[in-house]
Amino acid sequence: MAFEDQRTTVYKVDPEHPESKTLPTLRTEELLLNMGPQHPSTHGVLKVILELEGERLVKSTPVMGYLHRGVEKLAEDGTYHQFIPHTDRLDYVCAMYNNFAYCRAVEKLLDLKVPDRAEYLRTIVAEVQRIIGHQFWVSAQALDIGAMTVFFYCFRDREILLDWFDELCGARLTTSWYRIGGVERDLTPSLIEKLKAFLDYFPPKIDEYQVFLEKNRIWLGRTKGVAVISAEDAISFGLSGPTLRGSGVDYDLRKYEPYSAYPKCEFSVPVGKNGDTYDRYWIRMMELYESVKIIKQCLEQMEEGPIMADVPSVTLPPKQRVFTNLEAMIQQFKLFSEGFKAPPGEIYCGTEAHKGELGFHIVSTGGSKPYRLKIRAPSFIHMGAFDHMARGYMISDACTIFGTYDIVMGECDR
Amino acid sequence: MGLKPATNPDVEAATIELTIDGKTVTAKDGVSLYDVISMTGKIIPAMCYHYTFDPFGSCGMCLVMQEGKKAPVRSCTAKATAGMIIRTEGDDLFLARKKAVEKHLSVHPLDCPVCDADGHCELQDMAFEHGVTNLANAKQKFIPEDTRSPVLDFNMNRCIACAECINVCKDVLMIDALQFMKKGGFNQVVPKGDVALDCEFCGDCLAVCPVGAITNKFSKYLYKPWQMKKTTTTCNYCGDGCQLYLETKDEEVIRVTSPLSWKNKWGDRSETAKGHGGLCVRGRFGFEYLDGKTRLRNPLVREHNQLVEKPWIETMQTLVDRFTAITHRHGADAIAGLITARCTNEELYLFQKLMRTVFGTNHLDSSARYGHMNFVHASKHAVGLGRTHNDWEDLTKAKAVLVIGSNLTETNPLTAMRIKEAIRVYKAQVVTLDSAVTNMAKLASHPLLINPGTEGAVIDGLVKTAIDQDLVDEESVKKHPRAFDALKAAVGTLSLEQISAHTGLSSETFKEIVALFAESPRSIILCAEGIVRRTNGYQNVLKLIDLAWITGKLDRPGCGVSTVTEEPNEQGAVDMGVAPEFLPGQARFDDAAARDRFAKAWDAPLPQAGTGSHLVDILNRCRSGQIKALYILGENPLGTLPASLEVRTALEHVELLVVQDPFLTQTGRQAHFVLPACTYAEKDGTFTNLEGRVLRVRQAMDPLGDSLPDWHIMTALANAMGAHWEYQSVNDIQAEILKLVPGYYNLGQPRKIVPTPDHYLSDGYAAEVGARYRASEGHDQTRPFSLQMGQVLMHSGKMSTEAPGLIKIAPNTGKLHMNIRDMEQLGVQEGVKVCLASERGSLQLGVQPDQSVAPGTCFFPEHFNEPPVKDLMTVSIDPVTGVPAFKQCWVSIERA
Amino acid sequence: MNVGALTKKVLQAALFYEIWDAMKVTFQHMFHRPITFQYPREQRTIPDAHRGALGLLRYDDGHERCVGCDLCEAACPSRCIKVISAEDPSRPLQRYATEFYIDITKCVFCGYCVEACPVNALAMTKMYEFSTHDKRTLLFDKKRLYDIGERHLDDAKKYLYAHNQEKNVEESREYRYYFPQSVLKSTQSPPKHLS
Repeated sequence: MAFEDQRTTVYKVDPEHPESKTLPTLRTEELLLNMGPQHPSTHGVLKVILELEGERLVKSTPVMGYLHRGVEKLAEDGTYHQFIPHTDRLDYVCAMYNNFAYCRAVEKLLDLKVPDRAEYLRTIVAEVQRIIGHQFWVSAQALDIGAMTVFFYCFRDREILLDWFDELCGARLTTSWYRIGGVERDLTPSLIEKLKAFLDYFPPKIDEYQVFLEKNRIWLGRTKGVAVISAEDAISFGLSGPTLRGSGVDYDLRKYEPYSAYPKCEFSVPVGKNGDTYDRYWIRMMELYESVKIIKQCLEQMEEGPIMADVPSVTLPPKQRVFTNLEAMIQQFKLFSEGFKAPPGEIYCGTEAHKGELGFHIVSTGGSKPYRLKIRAPSFIHMGAFDHMARGYMISDACTIFGTYDIVMGECDR
Repeated sequence: MGLKPATNPDVEAATIELTIDGKTVTAKDGVSLYDVISMTGKIIPAMCYHYTFDPFGSCGMCLVMQEGKKAPVRSCTAKATAGMIIRTEGDDLFLARKKAVEKHLSVHPLDCPVCDADGHCELQDMAFEHGVTNLANAKQKFIPEDTRSPVLDFNMNRCIACAECINVCKDVLMIDALQFMKKGGFNQVVPKGDVALDCEFCGDCLAVCPVGAITNKFSKYLYKPWQMKKTTTTCNYCGDGCQLYLETKDEEVIRVTSPLSWKNKWGDRSETAKGHGGLCVRGRFGFEYLDGKTRLRNPLVREHNQLVEKPWIETMQTLVDRFTAITHRHGADAIAGLITARCTNEELYLFQKLMRTVFGTNHLDSSARYGHMNFVHASKHAVGLGRTHNDWEDLTKAKAVLVIGSNLTETNPLTAMRIKEAIRVYKAQVVTLDSAVTNMAKLASHPLLINPGTEGAVIDGLVKTAIDQDLVDEESVKKHPRAFDALKAAVGTLSLEQISAHTGLSSETFKEIVALFAESPRSIILCAEGIVRRTNGYQNVLKLIDLAWITGKLDRPGCGVSTVTEEPNEQGAVDMGVAPEFLPGQARFDDAAARDRFAKAWDAPLPQAGTGSHLVDILNRCRSGQIKALYILGENPLGTLPASLEVRTALEHVELLVVQDPFLTQTGRQAHFVLPACTYAEKDGTFTNLEGRVLRVRQAMDPLGDSLPDWHIMTALANAMGAHWEYQSVNDIQAEILKLVPGYYNLGQPRKIVPTPDHYLSDGYAAEVGARYRASEGHDQTRPFSLQMGQVLMHSGKMSTEAPGLIKIAPNTGKLHMNIRDMEQLGVQEGVKVCLASERGSLQLGVQPDQSVAPGTCFFPEHFNEPPVKDLMTVSIDPVTGVPAFKQCWVSIERA
Repeated sequence: MNVGALTKKVLQAALFYEIWDAMKVTFQHMFHRPITFQYPREQRTIPDAHRGALGLLRYDDGHERCVGCDLCEAACPSRCIKVISAEDPSRPLQRYATEFYIDITKCVFCGYCVEACPVNALAMTKMYEFSTHDKRTLLFDKKRLYDIGERHLDDAKKYLYAHNQEKNVEESREYRYYFPQSVLKSTQSPPKHLS
C-alpha cells in the first residue's frame, strides 16, 4: 500500500468554478495522537506517538523508557551472582528464561561446563516457561483484539504452572532458580508427578484455545494480513523468534546454536509464510505442542546426577559442608563477599527465549563484577520495526501490532 | 621491586644476570630470588613475606623450580645468583603451593564468621585461589585467646606462624616486643616473656598479620571489610603527616588502617626511606574521639551564666550583633583571634583573612607560637627558609644525626622511625643529647645525658670545640671570614671546662661528637621541643645554624638543621600567615609590596603595618581591657598555659569570648558562644607536615549533629559581617591560595630549597653574634630538681584525652614521674605523696618511678591538668619571637 | 469448489458456525467446579520452598544462631540488610548481632541471604501478608525477625530442608563454631562434633 505524503497538500476547489469565491478553502492535515503510556494494550508503559491521516497510521514513533530502572548499570555494581535476581525483572512474565540466558552468558564467559542433569532440568523449566509465555501472549493478544474468553482459559492453565514454579523455587514470578553452573534446586518426585500430569492435561487445552480463535472470523479478520513484514525486512530489522519465523525465515537458536539439552531432543520449528499476525499466532500455538514434546523427552532422558558444576572457584559448596569444613567455609565467604573473578574478555551469548533472541553481552576486565553488561532484549529490537510494520494500517490495528511482537516493557526499557 | 638496599646509599651493588621463565633479567647482587622475581612484575604467592624486612621463609608458598634441582626451592630465602634458570609457573608448582596452603588450613579453626580478618585474609585468598576443597585430617588447636593487653588480642588458633608480626616489630620498628614460644604443642606468638603486651602499641603487627591472629580490641567484632567506606586521609595528631585509611560505617569510625599492610607486600625497600607506611599508637588507635559522645553537636550560647543549646541561625545572629557592636564601640583593634594548628591550611588561611579583612585586626596567632615559631624565625633570619631543612629521606640516609633536646619517639614516632632506619639500614651514627633517657638514646651510638636545662650550653660547647679543634669546613668559613672572626671572638670568652662542668659532658665527648658530626658526609641536626619550647629557643636555633655553617653542613645536600612539629599543621599555620608578623606565603606583614598584593587580591585594606600582637600580648591586652572580643578557634589557652600568665583573668575581662571547637574545652566553658566544629574526618583540606609536604585531608563522614567545618562557619560569619565570600567548597579556597601563594601545594612534594646563609653572614652577623654566646648561670640550688612537662607517646595535646582508647592505654595517673634513685634518696615509694614546690607555688601529688627520667629531673605529661602541675611552671618570653617557654622549671621535692 | 462445499461454507458463515463451536466449549465449562477461590477467606496452600518473609532462628536451647558475620549483608543484591555486630557482653569473645535490620520494602525475596548464612540463622517462611498502613513498620528489626522466626519455626525449618540448607538431623542444631576461650577465663566448652 502506497501512500503519498499529503501532509502539506492543500485542497482547493477548482478556481474556475462559479461558486469558488464563496466556498471556504479546505485543508487536511495529519493528526498527532499519543497512545499510552497508560493505554491498557501497551503491555506496560509504552507511549507511541501516532501520526494519523484519517484513521490510517502514517507514522508512529515509540517513546520508551518509562520503565527504565538502569538494570544494566546495576549489574556493574554487584557480583555476577547478585545480578540473577535482577534478570527476573527484565521480562517479568518469563523470569526463568531471563535467568537462563544470563547464566548461560556468564558460563560462556567462564567456560564452565554444566552437569548433564542440570542441563535437562534447565531445558525442562525453560520450556515450561515458554509455555507460560505463549499462553500469556495468546491470552493478552486475544484480549487486546476483543476476545475475552480465551484469556481466562489460558490463565487457568498458566496458574498451574506458576504454582509449580512456586513449589520448585519458592516464587511464582521472580524465580531466580538458575545458578551460574547449574540450578538451585532439583525436581522433587512430587514436582515431576505434577509436571507429568500437566503434560497429559495440556495438549487438549491447546486445541481448546484454538477453537476460540482459529475459525473466529473476527480474529481472522483482525490478524490475517495485519502487521505484515517481508522476510528481508524482518532480517534487516533484526527481528527474531516467532516474529521472524512468521515471515518464513527458519531461524531458531535452539537449532542453529544448540545449547543445553536441546540437541538431545527431537522437535520441529514451525515456520510461517505470510509474515502476518495470524502466522505468528499459529507458530506460537504449534510451539506449545513442541514444548510439551521437548519436556516429555527430557523427563525420559534425564538421569540422576549433580545439579551444580563442581568448580570451587565459581560455584557454592554444598551447605552441609560449610558447617564442618574450613575450605568450604572459605569458599562460601569468598564467593558471597567478593564473588568469583571472571577472566578478562568480552562475550555475547544469545538464547532463544519465547519472544526471540535474548542476548547478554558482558565485558569483563577480570574482576568479580561485570565491567559492562548489555542486554539484547527482543522486545526492544522488535519495537524498532513498529513504524515500518504499522504504516498504512488502521488505528485500531495498532494494538494488534504491539501485541504481535509480544512486548514486555520491563525488558524493553530495562 | 623488593630489592634490599645497599647499606651504603653511595655505593651501587654489582649486577648479575639470571633467567626467569625464559627471560633474562638483570638484578643487583645479594638480593633474594623472590625480590628479583617480583621485580619483573610476577607475583608469586607468599604469606610470610613483606618487603620491609628480610625474608623469613616459613609459609612455603613462594616455591619455584630451579634448573638442576629436583625439588622446588623457596625463592624468598634463596639468594639470586648469576646464571640461575628459574621457572615460576606450572602445575607441579601449583600443586606444591596448594599443599603448603593445606598444611596451614588443616590446623586452622572454623571461625570465619566471627573472625575480624574475614574478607581481608591472605589464608582465605590463598585457599580460594588454589582451590583447596578436601582436607584430610583437619584438627583444631583450642588455644585460649590472649586478651591481656589493653589494645591487641592474640588468637593463636588462627596464627599461621608467618612471623610477620615478629619481624616487623624487630626489624622495622626495632621494638622487639613479640616472640615465638612453644606452648601447648604449638608455636605461638606471645609478647616477650609471655606477659601482657606492653610496648609502643604502634599496631604495625596488626597491620601485617595476614590472618586474624592479632586483632584490635577497639574494633573487635564491629565490622566486616565489605561494610566499610575507606577514606585516605592524613593523621592529625602530630606533624609527621602520616597517611592513613579511615574506615567508616555511616557516621561511625570503625578502625584506622595504614598503607603498611600484608596486602601491599611488594615494594622497593629503598622506598621506605620516605616512610614505611606504618602508624603509631595515636594514629591507629586514637580514632574514637571522632564520633565520641563528648563531641559538641549544637551551638551553645551563654544565658544567665549557663551555656544553653541554640540553633545556628539564632546563635549567628546574636554573635554577629555582638561583634558589630564591639567594632563600632571600640574599633577593630579590640578584636583578636587564636587558632589551633590542627586546622587545615584552607581554614588557617581563611582565619587570617577573616581577622584581617573582615574584622580589620592584626591581633591573631596560632599554636605554632608555642615553639615552632622560634625555629621558623631563626631559620628564616639565617638562611631565608622558614621551615625545616630536611625531609624524611635526608634523615634516613644521613650518616650522622645529632638529636638534641628531642624525645623523638614520644613526640613524632614516625620521624623517629626514620632515624631508626638510618641506624639499622644505613648504619648512621646517632648522637642524642637530652636530659631524659629517651627511647632514641637506647638505639643511638652516642647516647649522652646532659644536665637539665643546659641544651644552650651544650651547643656553646659544640661550637667552641669545633673552632678550637679546627673541625671547621674551610670552604664554608672562607666565604665569610668576617663572620667567622666574629664568631671566634664570641666563643672565645667561653671556657670549655665551665661548660663541661655545667652540662655534664666531658671535653673529650664534645670533641668526639663534633668530630663525628663534622667528618660525616651527610650530617643533620635535629632539634625539637627541648630547644624551641625552652628559654632562649630562638638564639639556640641560631647557634645550631652556626654550628652547621662552620662545619659545612648547612647548604650541602642531605645536611641541615631540622625540627619537628607537635601539631599537624604548625608549618601550615606559619605558611598561611596566621601570625601578626606574616602574611600568607611567609611574606612579612610590613612588606609594602606584599601588603599591596594581598590588599588588592582581597579587595580590602589590611590593618596598619606595625600593629598586631602575638599570643602572650593578646592575653595581656585582654587583661588590660584593650581587647574586648576574642575569637578562639580550637585553641585552649586556659588548659595549656600556666597560671602565671593569668589566662583566666584575661578571659574574664573580655566582653565577648567565642570558642569554636569540636569539644567543650576548659576555655569553652568560659565562653559566651561555643560553636561546634568538625574534626578532620568530616572535612576536606590539606595539612602541611614537618617536611613541608602538603597532604590531603579527605572527608570520611558527614558532620556529626549540627557541627560544621571551620571554614564553613568562618565563611558564614564573614558574610554575616558584610563580606562577600563565595566559597562553596574547600576547592574554592584552595584556588585562591594557589593564586596568592603560587606553587604552595606543589603536588604534595616538599619544595627543595637550598639554605643560603650568605646574606645573613655578610650583613649584621658580626653585630648580633656577640651577644649570643654567653656563659650560662647556674640555677637556684634550693630547687634542685628540674620539672619538665612534655608529650608522651600515647597522647597529643589535649585532643587525645578525648579518645577513650588512648586513655585506656595511658591513663592520667596523676603522679609525678621520677627516677627510682631520686625516689630512694627522698625515701618515697610509688604512690607516696610528695610536695612539689616551685617559685609559683606548690602542690601535693603522688610519685611513680619512670626509667626514662634521669636523676635530678622529674616529669609530668603536659596532656593532663589534674593535678594542675602546669600552674607551677615559670614562663619566660622570648624577646624576639614572643614564644612563651613554660615546659621546664626548677622545683624542690619533699616528702609530704 | 463443488456446490456442496460451497453451500456448507455459506451456511456456516450465515449461522455463525464457529461461534457455536466455541460456545460448546464455554457451555461445557458451566459444569466444571470453579477454579477460583475466595481470598482471604480461602487460602492457597503454600509450598515448603516458598520464599516468604525472613525470620531469624534460635538454637533449641534458646541461644541466637546469628553470629553477626554480615555475610547476608554482602550477599544481598538489593542491599536491604544491615547488621551491626559486637562482642556479646554475656558471653565474652563471642560475636553476635546487636542490631539486625531488613528493609522489607527493598527486599526482593531472592533467598540469597539464607543461602549465604553460614549458621542457618536466617530462613524464609510462608508468611507473605505484610500489608500495613504505616510503611515504617516494614523495616523489620532484630526483635521482629526473631518473632517471625519463632512463630513460623516449622515453616522456616521446612524451608531450609526444602532448599538443601539444612538436614533434618540432630547435629544440625548444634553450635557449629567453637569460640576461643580467654586466657583469663573459659567461656564455653568445645562442641561435641569438634572435640
